[in-house]
Amino acid sequence: MSVTPIVTTPTVIHAVVDTEGLAEKISIRNLDFFYGDHRALKNINVPLYQGKVTAFIGPSGCGKSTLLRVLNRMYDLYPNQRASGHVTLDNQDILSPRQDLNLLRAKVGMVFQKPTPFPMTIYENIAFGIRLYEKLAQSELDDRVRHALDRAALWNEVKDKLGANGLSLSGGQQQRLCIARTVAVRPEVILFDEPCSALDPISTAKIEELIDELKDDYTIAIVTHNMQQAARVSDFTAFMYLGEMIEFGDTTRIFTNPNDRRTQDYITGRFG
Amino acid sequence: MSSSRRRIVADVALQGGAVSVAEEVDRAKVLDRLRLGDTTFRWLTRLAAIAVLIILGGIIVSLVHGSWPALRTFGFSFLVTETWNPVTEKFGAVAPIYGTLVTSAIAMLIAVPVGLFIAIFLTELCPMWLRRPIGIAIELLAGIPSIIYGIWGLFVFAPFLQQYVQPFLIDLFGPVPVLSPLFEGPPYGIGIFTAGLILAIMVLPFVTSISRDVFDAVPPVLKEAAYGLGCTTWEVARYVVLPYTRVGVIGGVMLGLGRALGETMAVTFVIGNAHRVSASLLAPGTTISATIANEFTEAVGDLYTSSLIALGLILFVITFIVLAAARLMLMRLNARIGS
Repeated sequence: MSVTPIVTTPTVIHAVVDTEGLAEKISIRNLDFFYGDHRALKNINVPLYQGKVTAFIGPSGCGKSTLLRVLNRMYDLYPNQRASGHVTLDNQDILSPRQDLNLLRAKVGMVFQKPTPFPMTIYENIAFGIRLYEKLAQSELDDRVRHALDRAALWNEVKDKLGANGLSLSGGQQQRLCIARTVAVRPEVILFDEPCSALDPISTAKIEELIDELKDDYTIAIVTHNMQQAARVSDFTAFMYLGEMIEFGDTTRIFTNPNDRRTQDYITGRFG
Repeated sequence: MSSSRRRIVADVALQGGAVSVAEEVDRAKVLDRLRLGDTTFRWLTRLAAIAVLIILGGIIVSLVHGSWPALRTFGFSFLVTETWNPVTEKFGAVAPIYGTLVTSAIAMLIAVPVGLFIAIFLTELCPMWLRRPIGIAIELLAGIPSIIYGIWGLFVFAPFLQQYVQPFLIDLFGPVPVLSPLFEGPPYGIGIFTAGLILAIMVLPFVTSISRDVFDAVPPVLKEAAYGLGCTTWEVARYVVLPYTRVGVIGGVMLGLGRALGETMAVTFVIGNAHRVSASLLAPGTTISATIANEFTEAVGDLYTSSLIALGLILFVITFIVLAAARLMLMRLNARIGS
């Protein structure tokens, strides 16, 4: 892969963060995003730190999900959507036209709002992604599938029905299946796009627990409408409003002592 | 909190009671009228559904009744005899059955993959501006009357095949051990092979437009999830879109196959109407529907007419078997993906 490395100073952020010991896994600089002529993201600057959970909060339509879809170039599927600026993953510019999209998406996995099990068996849902990248012997593949399901805290619930269709699981189980599927291809970054908004409280709690466990090995970004969730699971929080990054910082500080009036209004429920 | 809430509930109940007492009689009348409408509606829908059964049953009975003389005379040998001789009144259905099955098989062999490719191209890869023209072209292709396919097949397509394609096929497969008998003999232009190709063109729009519609109905987020794992377009189409839409796609294929099995006019033009079974695909042959269409006017004897009706019954049975096979296939596919 011949992508020009961009090594620069730390990403400009809107508040002082103690960056001691933190490595920027993904750096977003001067990012603009357009749906046709509509500018949905305006000059976004934000880092995602290695091994940390970063939550993106803000009212509907503020561009949180759009930002997430830039990070794995999902917008590339659609004509009339384009991004400009710099997004680097390990100092490689992923917006470059030479970036191999399949490889990028293998490194940057995504979990969607609604569970999206593929029309196959539970086993195949996991094995499918692994087979895209690796040729494994059956026993090795079995181990990987089991490990992925273990990671997603689903193994005990499905071990006796691996041959059943993925859609036969409950909503929460389906979402954990999707997380297992994402984990199975061994990404470096996982993007969660409102992963719990279609789930009941118990499933939500399970998934939050899972995110907490996963952050040791992965860099995680999560978009959520649920402020308590952001406060519970994230290390850093970014508040977005009307396509702009209003404030970024330590989650504790954002929720206790925000710098910006709008952030405070949003987290206290005065709008949104 | 709870006591104030109870009071509100009680108030509402009181009001509700007052209203219903005042208008109880009117309300009952309205309900009665509605109930009558409901019953009528239920019976209308039931009648429509039953009508289908009655019509189907009537067709089966009249087919069996009409073909009875032939079936009684020839018995099982009707299904295994190749001879079709109106002069000696010896009839056997092997040639038309063979022709029907082989032309349809050729048609599906070509139309299904091509149709699926077009549908995948249209839904996944095609730039927006090209989508409409191709879509409209497909629909126009479906709208062309079969007589036009027939006349075009006979005067344009068959001579073209005779001059360019068939000699090439004969040369190409001549030295190949197993396939050479399939492409033997002189290039007539017309024949089983040509009929199969024409049928493929006629069936293509069915397979394409139905597949396209069901592919379009796949939730974008499901495709995004697959792309998000790093799948290529081919992998998304093959492992996610096709399994997800299997019911619709198989429905489209079966609709196409139904048309191929029953298509009469276009096939009659280009198949050569010869009652024999040849190993070579390039030789002339006949199909069930082509035979019936060609010979109905000249069928003077009772046995002759009855034999033609028996052919119709056989076509009916073949269609039924095809539908049953489709169900079976769907069940096996479902079992494989665990649902």
